[in-house]
Amino acid sequence: MSTAVINADDDAMEPTLQSILDQRSLRWIFVGGKGGVGKTTTSCSLAIQLAKVRRSVLLISTDPAHNLSDAFSQKFGKDARKVDGFENLSAMEIDPNGSMQDLLAGQAEGDGAEGMAGMGGMMQDLALSIPGIDEAMSFAEVLKQVKSLSYETIIFDTAPTGHTLRFLQFPSVLEKALKKISQLSSQFGGVLNGLLGANGALPNGQNLGEMMEKLEALRATISEVNQQFKDERLTTFVCVCIPEFLSLYETERMIQELANYQIDTHCIVVNQLLFPKPGSDCEQCTARRRMQRKYLDQIEELYDEFNVVKMPLLVEEVRGKEKLEKFSEMLVKPFVPPS
Amino acid sequence: MPSLLLIIFVTELVVQLVNTFGATTINDLLWRIYLTLPTPLSLEFAQQRKKQKEYLAVRHDLKATSSQDEFAKWAKLRRQHDKLLEELEKKKASVEAARTKFDRTLTTTRMVSTRGVQWFLPFWYSKEPMFWLPYGWFPYYVEWFASFPRAPMGSVSIVVWQWACTAVIALMIEAATAGLTFVATKQSQKVKQPVPARSEKKDS
Repeated sequence: MSTAVINADDDAMEPTLQSILDQRSLRWIFVGGKGGVGKTTTSCSLAIQLAKVRRSVLLISTDPAHNLSDAFSQKFGKDARKVDGFENLSAMEIDPNGSMQDLLAGQAEGDGAEGMAGMGGMMQDLALSIPGIDEAMSFAEVLKQVKSLSYETIIFDTAPTGHTLRFLQFPSVLEKALKKISQLSSQFGGVLNGLLGANGALPNGQNLGEMMEKLEALRATISEVNQQFKDERLTTFVCVCIPEFLSLYETERMIQELANYQIDTHCIVVNQLLFPKPGSDCEQCTARRRMQRKYLDQIEELYDEFNVVKMPLLVEEVRGKEKLEKFSEMLVKPFVPPS
Repeated sequence: MPSLLLIIFVTELVVQLVNTFGATTINDLLWRIYLTLPTPLSLEFAQQRKKQKEYLAVRHDLKATSSQDEFAKWAKLRRQHDKLLEELEKKKASVEAARTKFDRTLTTTRMVSTRGVQWFLPFWYSKEPMFWLPYGWFPYYVEWFASFPRAPMGSVSIVVWQWACTAVIALMIEAATAGLTFVATKQSQKVKQPVPARSEKKDS
């Protein structure tokens, strides 16, 4: 939270994301919130703005629903691809569920597995039963890629469920699991070796020791990433919400959870604000505006140490490069409602 | 050294009293007394009490606050609530650990000083006469029984003395409880007004 104070020369926090653009040391930016509040739009806009001031920016979606392609009207895949019309902005979409299966399947095929598939299946089941391992694996995979690609800033468009951060608890979980497995293998090592032949090779070409080594390496990677995520100079989390009760409630919970994980967060984007034209006789609009104002007041009161960015609800869908660019302007220059 | 007879009697008395009141009741009582003493633990306990009061107040406020109408206030209370709850749980765990340790020590001490003595003394003094019966007053089998198992013939053995003490104390306690219950029911009956509709309380 102390970064929030760094650029607070005056008392009030400015209602823009300028602080993120200015903070050159930032390497990881997460964008999260409840489903349907405009995470993808916000993260795309933020990416566009960041691309103007950074050498290279990568936008990653971990949401299985994959909206990046929709937002930019361009197909993205598992590998980073340049976004049309931008020099230094790339995007990729990863599936947090698929990669673990891919990994194990690939390994089995590579060694020409034959017979006794049950045993290998058991090992797979064992490895897969570690909670959160699939997400962690995919993150580790992405992070490995990202490290070698040397992007200056990476923006994560996270899945709405809020379990994105579960993998941050992963090193401790994995440590326990590894201990159990090594205990098992030392207890039944003799039997297993007798069964499996020399040097403890598992039937589908895997090796128990090798597998353990892999898991250990994964743990090391993730705990290193953990360290980085907990560093407020390197990482921040942008909460996106709409001025409605449930969204606000989720946001509050998320902020507390982030504080538990020691992840810095000092920006809230309030989306879909209604600004009916003066003299408009739309009953729903004015009623809704009143309700939104109530929650906005509450947000101002509760999050006085945050940059609260207010974004209007547009009359059109924010899709495509031009519209996104226009929308992204409002992240930096506060929107002035028509009066 | 006080008389062995007396020691045996007192031990049996203590055992019987503990059995009557129940070990947990006695532990609770001692724990409460222990907490009033100026120890670091009692300080912690007092703090826990204070925290609990604070927590309850916050919870009351939280329940009284509408999360929809005053979200900011509610969320702030909620944060406070969560923080207090966490602290309280921690404090509770530490106090509970202390309590477990206290209980264990107490139980061990009690076991050694009652059951231990109860078994050890008869074993150690099994050959010693507690006192002698007047010569020729009792037939042989009574003398044999009184000196059971290994005391010299014509004396009363420690084991038999123990039995006698137990029996008498048990009888006395039973008599006392019965008397007390009798007095108590009498008094309560005097105070209570007879209620006309008694059909509900048939089974009790």
